[in-house]
Amino acid sequence: MDRRIFLSSAAAGLVGSALTACGGGGSEPALDLAGSPRRRPGTTTTVVTPPVTPKSRVIVIGGGMGGATVAKYLRLWGDAISVTLVERMPTYTSNIMSSMVLTGQRSMSSLSFNYDTLRSKYGITTVFGDVVAIDPVAVKVTLANGTTLTADRIVMAPGISFDAVPGLGASDKMPHAWQAGPQTTLLANQLKALPNKGVVVLTIPKTPYRCPPGPYERACLIADWLKVKKPGSRLIVLDANPGIVTEVDNFTNAFMGLHGGVIEYRANAEVTSVDPATMSLMTTAGTVRGDVINMIPRQRAGTLVATAGLNNATEGRFAGVNVLSYASTVAGAEKIHIIGDASATTQPKAGHIANQEAKVCADAISRILSGGAPDPAPVTNSACYSTITMTQASWLTAVFQYDAATSAMKGVAAASGASTGWDQDSFEEMGTWFKSLMGDSFA
Amino acid sequence: MKTRFHILAPLVLAALAAAGTAQAQVGQAGRLLASNCFQCHGTNGKGPGFDTLAGKSASEIYKDLKEFQSGKEGNGIMAKHAMGYTDAQLQALAAWLATQR
Repeated sequence: MDRRIFLSSAAAGLVGSALTACGGGGSEPALDLAGSPRRRPGTTTTVVTPPVTPKSRVIVIGGGMGGATVAKYLRLWGDAISVTLVERMPTYTSNIMSSMVLTGQRSMSSLSFNYDTLRSKYGITTVFGDVVAIDPVAVKVTLANGTTLTADRIVMAPGISFDAVPGLGASDKMPHAWQAGPQTTLLANQLKALPNKGVVVLTIPKTPYRCPPGPYERACLIADWLKVKKPGSRLIVLDANPGIVTEVDNFTNAFMGLHGGVIEYRANAEVTSVDPATMSLMTTAGTVRGDVINMIPRQRAGTLVATAGLNNATEGRFAGVNVLSYASTVAGAEKIHIIGDASATTQPKAGHIANQEAKVCADAISRILSGGAPDPAPVTNSACYSTITMTQASWLTAVFQYDAATSAMKGVAAASGASTGWDQDSFEEMGTWFKSLMGDSFA
Repeated sequence: MKTRFHILAPLVLAALAAAGTAQAQVGQAGRLLASNCFQCHGTNGKGPGFDTLAGKSASEIYKDLKEFQSGKEGNGIMAKHAMGYTDAQLQALAAWLATQR
């Protein structure tokens, strides 16, 4: 009830006042709390007359798979919360399916999603800008332009950032293409320019990294493409891990069998430094040279997590969270929730599970803000497809149940596993899955 | 809301008849469980995606899921996936999905 009293005085019945509470400067666009009474800009007329029910406020930082989904479900599952989504870019480019841009099977525009439906259908306010500071105790966000926003809760979904690669500097000769965007186009063009009998190198970082099967499926896809487009070429896969980290049977069979003439797989080969001038990688398994190098660096949470001091897990790389609500486990920061790839959980870092973590988080926040407690037994799931060739795919699925003994999400063994082999049907299902998943997250 | 009420499964009707927070919690748990289906079957089971779940009865959805669990439906992704849920969870999510038309 304290919260209500605070809100009713802060909101004072009008959005204009709520703006003040959010610290919005006069030149900022109005934070349009859709569904609630508002003033028309430039007038003093109150448009809607019914008495105002003060709403709780949640700020979501980051509009990827997790951020878009949590914003949507906070609004879909009740009208008691207003949601402001803060994001750098006006459109999101899907990482899922982006390896198919490298083989010319997908366009970048087919991976582009915007926030129009989140605004129009769910009444979410979007603010495009850079967050420079988060105060976990005051529950306050500061943007690069000086604007500050406050809320009852903040959900962070900043994704990943990359470790600096010694020797790489600002060179664009070894793109990671692991955040879909300009780097994807860059790598696609470099592959296109590869001479026949060329050497491509793909590096896989130590776990945990975004999308465990992702580098292996990319390797399969590139290998299949090389066979057709660049005869005589080879693909060297340098894995910093002691072996293939997921879907071991399928990827082993594909690497050794189907693509055995193209792929050369080396385990325990971690990149220590690079030389773009000679297109060389210095690794724990010797020096390797390539004509095209897809250098995927080791990963950590999006930089904002460390900026806010919430990187208290995985040797300071990711954010520790309570998986009942995804609230930070940093003392005093309980009102900050971190979902998706930036959080440290037993679940894989991937878009499908980020979507489900977002729903658990949205449900928990709506319960907490109405005076309740989070669901004590959440379930999350993951499903995905891996391209083994340019026309065939395998699948992988997992279900996680909350385990009270360890306070962690625990994979159900019987429900965790991959297809036996790959086929064209799964490739077609992959398209259906992608369309559905993106719809559930952005529309 | 009118359309919702006359198609509700008895189980959910009973839940709705209960008062206050307890009722909201029952419905909410089923909803969160059912949301595991939405990534592949669309928000609220209404597509786009694989088979549309909205419009089916709770018993129909539950029966389908048990058949996946039993292996009767082959060894595809749903057979594997269905293994991850307890019987009570399948019933709760089926009851919630049955409220979606």
